[in-house]
Amino acid sequence: MSIESCKKNKITRQSGLPWILPAFVFVAGLIYYSIFYTLNLSTLDWNGLDPVQTRVGMSNYAHALGDPVFWKALKNTAVFFVVTFAVQNLLGFVFAAILHTEVKFATLHKCLVFIPTILAPATMAPVFRLLFSPQGLLQDIFDTLHLGITVDWLSKPTSALIVLMVITIWEFTGMSFILYYAAMSQIDKEMLEAAHLDGAGNIRTMASIVWPNCMGTTISLAMLGVIGALKTFDIPYLITVGGPNHATEFLGTYIYRQGIRQSHLGYAAAISMILLVLAICGAILTNKANKVEGQ
Amino acid sequence: MFELRSLKSKIGLQIILLLLTIPYALPLVQMILGSLGGTGFLNYKAVWDTGVVPTYFRNSLIISASVILLVYLFSMTAGFGFAKLHIFGKEVFFWLILVALTLPEVILLSPLFVTFQKLHMFNTHLAVILPIAALQLPFTILLARNFDEGIPSELMEAARIDGANTWLIFRYIILPLTKPIASSIIVLTLINSWNSYLMPLLFLQSPDMQTVTLLPQFFQGEFTNDQTKILAAAVITAIPEVIVYICMQKNFEKGMSAGALK
Repeated sequence: MSIESCKKNKITRQSGLPWILPAFVFVAGLIYYSIFYTLNLSTLDWNGLDPVQTRVGMSNYAHALGDPVFWKALKNTAVFFVVTFAVQNLLGFVFAAILHTEVKFATLHKCLVFIPTILAPATMAPVFRLLFSPQGLLQDIFDTLHLGITVDWLSKPTSALIVLMVITIWEFTGMSFILYYAAMSQIDKEMLEAAHLDGAGNIRTMASIVWPNCMGTTISLAMLGVIGALKTFDIPYLITVGGPNHATEFLGTYIYRQGIRQSHLGYAAAISMILLVLAICGAILTNKANKVEGQ
Repeated sequence: MFELRSLKSKIGLQIILLLLTIPYALPLVQMILGSLGGTGFLNYKAVWDTGVVPTYFRNSLIISASVILLVYLFSMTAGFGFAKLHIFGKEVFFWLILVALTLPEVILLSPLFVTFQKLHMFNTHLAVILPIAALQLPFTILLARNFDEGIPSELMEAARIDGANTWLIFRYIILPLTKPIASSIIVLTLINSWNSYLMPLLFLQSPDMQTVTLLPQFFQGEFTNDQTKILAAAVITAIPEVIVYICMQKNFEKGMSAGALK
């Protein structure tokens, strides 16, 4: 029997459907049930308990488009994505490059950068609330240096958003770092040596060889970043609860506020559907960028 | 990566590294210092004496273990099916699962809230396990499929000629060869399920069912304004995670970077 006929034999003999069906039914069942349920809910005016459900058509969507808090949440998400993506990837890249060089205590530094990614935001939230309050360690440090700065950043709109971005960067640099670290291990050492022999300095080598070679990683991180930014919930909910005055509201926290806290289930569902469309668009766009890069 | 010839530049790089790392250590220092404020180590004793810490850990363990089991079984079998078996309309099934990759978990809030209430699943571990596993699976199935596609089909054909059926091939060829990706999947699922906050927040209402991520809130109720004890509770929650990470550093780093594997 030739390999060809054997392969054919394998393919035609029986279907592999039973192998994927349990997983498919489980995932698609739960997820598509939820999506269609949400879609239906988004056309209702309903508080979740009342036996009377009023069908309101598209008015929940219209309401969202005219809702300043919705736009605020969207704008926060965009700003949040751009800033955290740029800073945490730059830091991750620099850490990876330094730790690929021979330095002392490399493992210790690696652990310190990576530990934040494995700790739950929920566990760290009380720590950050203290750290960024006038009773915290930062205030002590500023006082010792006589800088005359008062750390009350969480109570002011602009600085509260910045603090949340700093916390997010703290949490996810380890992720960027690990991915860049893996990508840099693949770079041909001889190429770097040749560049150095040709008189290229460290900065030049980074910019012209290492950075372009890590492009695939950067795009993967962009995809994770877009979806991650749209999913943002734990950190703003736990640290500022979206406040002060919606300054740190994100789509996730707003959906929770509307749907669960205030029982506007229909309105929350409409925002959820918009969020889903945005997430899918984001994924498609970054995927396109990935394909362009691959060619 | 950097080429450093002089001692001066070596020391310079070491100092830059130190300066960059300090901000990452700062919250951890704050956590430990804060937890020792006021009555010092007695904070830990006070937290432990409430007797609830083991319950919260037990619940987190039950939930994480169940999610890992579900995710492992489903991603191994489905990954194998998608990569190696003939299935009519395979790519359609795969696409339908992949779309869920982008799904933010808040979208599940309202539907599951209403449905679980109807099914009397409120305040059960299952209400948390099922959505977390379903949200994790699209990604792990993708990882498993990509990995399985790298296994030569000739191995399976040889086994088939020797009379092995699909189950035996899965059991004796695929499972042993996919150990690296399986360990990444397990670590990734462990981190995500152990750290999950939204689902437990929503569906677990009584303290004897809640998970470690809800522990700070419980202590906020218990010790109202005593930050030091809340931080002691945070340290107690974080320590096992850090120990597991340090013991399995390589697996964690591989698991977290699995997403970048093409």
